[in-house]
Amino acid sequence: MTDLSLMPAPAATAAPAAVAPLTTAPAAPAVVTAAELYAKLLADAPLLIVDVRNPAEFARMRIEGREALDVLNIPYYAFIEDEDDAAAPIPTDREVVVVCAKEGSSEYVAELLAARGMAVSYLAGGFPAWGNHVDVRDVAAGAWGKVIQIARPARGDLSFVVVSDGAAAVIDPLRHTAVYHDTIAAEGASLAVVLDTHVHADHISGGPALAAATGAPYHVHAYDAIHPIDMLPATIPYTSLDDGQTFPIGAVTVTAHWFPGHTLGQFNFRLDAPDGTSALFTGDGIFLRSFGRPDLGGKGEAWTPLLYESLTERLPAIVHPHTLILPAHFSALDEAGADGVFSAPYAAVAATNDALRHRDLAEFTAYVLGHLPVFPPEYVQIKRVNIGLLEAGEQLADELELGKNICALSA
Amino acid sequence: MSTHFDATLDVKGAKCPMPLVKSRKAIGDLPVGHVLQVIATDRGSIADFQGWATTAKNIRLVAQETTAEGGQDLYVHYLERTA
Repeated sequence: MTDLSLMPAPAATAAPAAVAPLTTAPAAPAVVTAAELYAKLLADAPLLIVDVRNPAEFARMRIEGREALDVLNIPYYAFIEDEDDAAAPIPTDREVVVVCAKEGSSEYVAELLAARGMAVSYLAGGFPAWGNHVDVRDVAAGAWGKVIQIARPARGDLSFVVVSDGAAAVIDPLRHTAVYHDTIAAEGASLAVVLDTHVHADHISGGPALAAATGAPYHVHAYDAIHPIDMLPATIPYTSLDDGQTFPIGAVTVTAHWFPGHTLGQFNFRLDAPDGTSALFTGDGIFLRSFGRPDLGGKGEAWTPLLYESLTERLPAIVHPHTLILPAHFSALDEAGADGVFSAPYAAVAATNDALRHRDLAEFTAYVLGHLPVFPPEYVQIKRVNIGLLEAGEQLADELELGKNICALSA
Repeated sequence: MSTHFDATLDVKGAKCPMPLVKSRKAIGDLPVGHVLQVIATDRGSIADFQGWATTAKNIRLVAQETTAEGGQDLYVHYLERTA
């Protein structure tokens, strides 16, 4: 038995420089942050992502952009096995960003590609940095205050902060709550109320944590506080919602409208500002290009007619043509403008969202049944976490939230 | 049942891509037919060694096992040089 003793025991001393066979001095690869990468994706500049994770990880979740983005999955071990072979499919006339699971392998591959003369950079922090990247930007603003969109682009999750006269409301907050505290503090406001449009199945709500940290009430409808599969009640503190209930936030008013279908207790929240600005936080009611699937509670047959009524009767009654539709998800990055804002006036959504095309109930039901994506098994678990039936530490929460949301009907 | 091996490579503490870089080099130094045991602490090495073995020209993944040592999980891979 031979001991090759190739590796000294101490951890974390593996420096890529020790193995990269660089005798000349090629341009060192640049490092891009997740924020810089997102800016490139929004700008839709010609870009090639070389994702060097293994194919199973790539299949679960990948970086998606707009038209000009190309993505290649070439595992890093292919470069170790046969560098020329692995690099062959990579065009030399494109800007390349290498991403991997942690960072080390993308740096390793980026150095190889830089040595081959390519314009290459690698993503700082690897895939988790992209998965957890949070993007903050204004959606609407006036003398009354503003609406701020807080997105987690990797998952297609959207949430909102309303600020007016020193008061703030948070709608559909995501799991990591620091960004809401920071955003509200930066506006010099204090949190008055936390609203969830519904109990989410695809991601863990930051609502209960925000309420606990600030003393602000957390509202979600009681129908959603019963787990639809387990038929067990919530153990988290919450206050239910009434149809038509209003929340004054500084100079604006937020009104709750029952919008059942995606869940039984789904609500939409309409913001009305003194200058006539109107916005509808639709949660998973209607998206810009689709709407929320009615089957995630396991009650698709009963909930589809409710969803039909919500989309055809309730929705037109609570919007003006200029009301900004602000959904809780997007499916594709090109739903945003180059400004990174995922919103459109209701008139535009009604004209372009194929899911809103006129159908009778039978046609609508057939449409829904024909466009249901897979039902991710973890969605049952996530609902348990969101009403306190299951505790999730950071590691379990990360695993449950892997991948992009699948709350919309498929195309 | 323990898996037979002819040489061992300790990559405990090494982060991706080093366990695989060093394994590639080490297996090239072995005669054809010999098995290399690789001891890693990087959990990602499980899937990565599987993927590597399916695409590599002269490597067969004989076995993988997870053990623990002093409260730390160890991921042990057995690779045979086939050509």
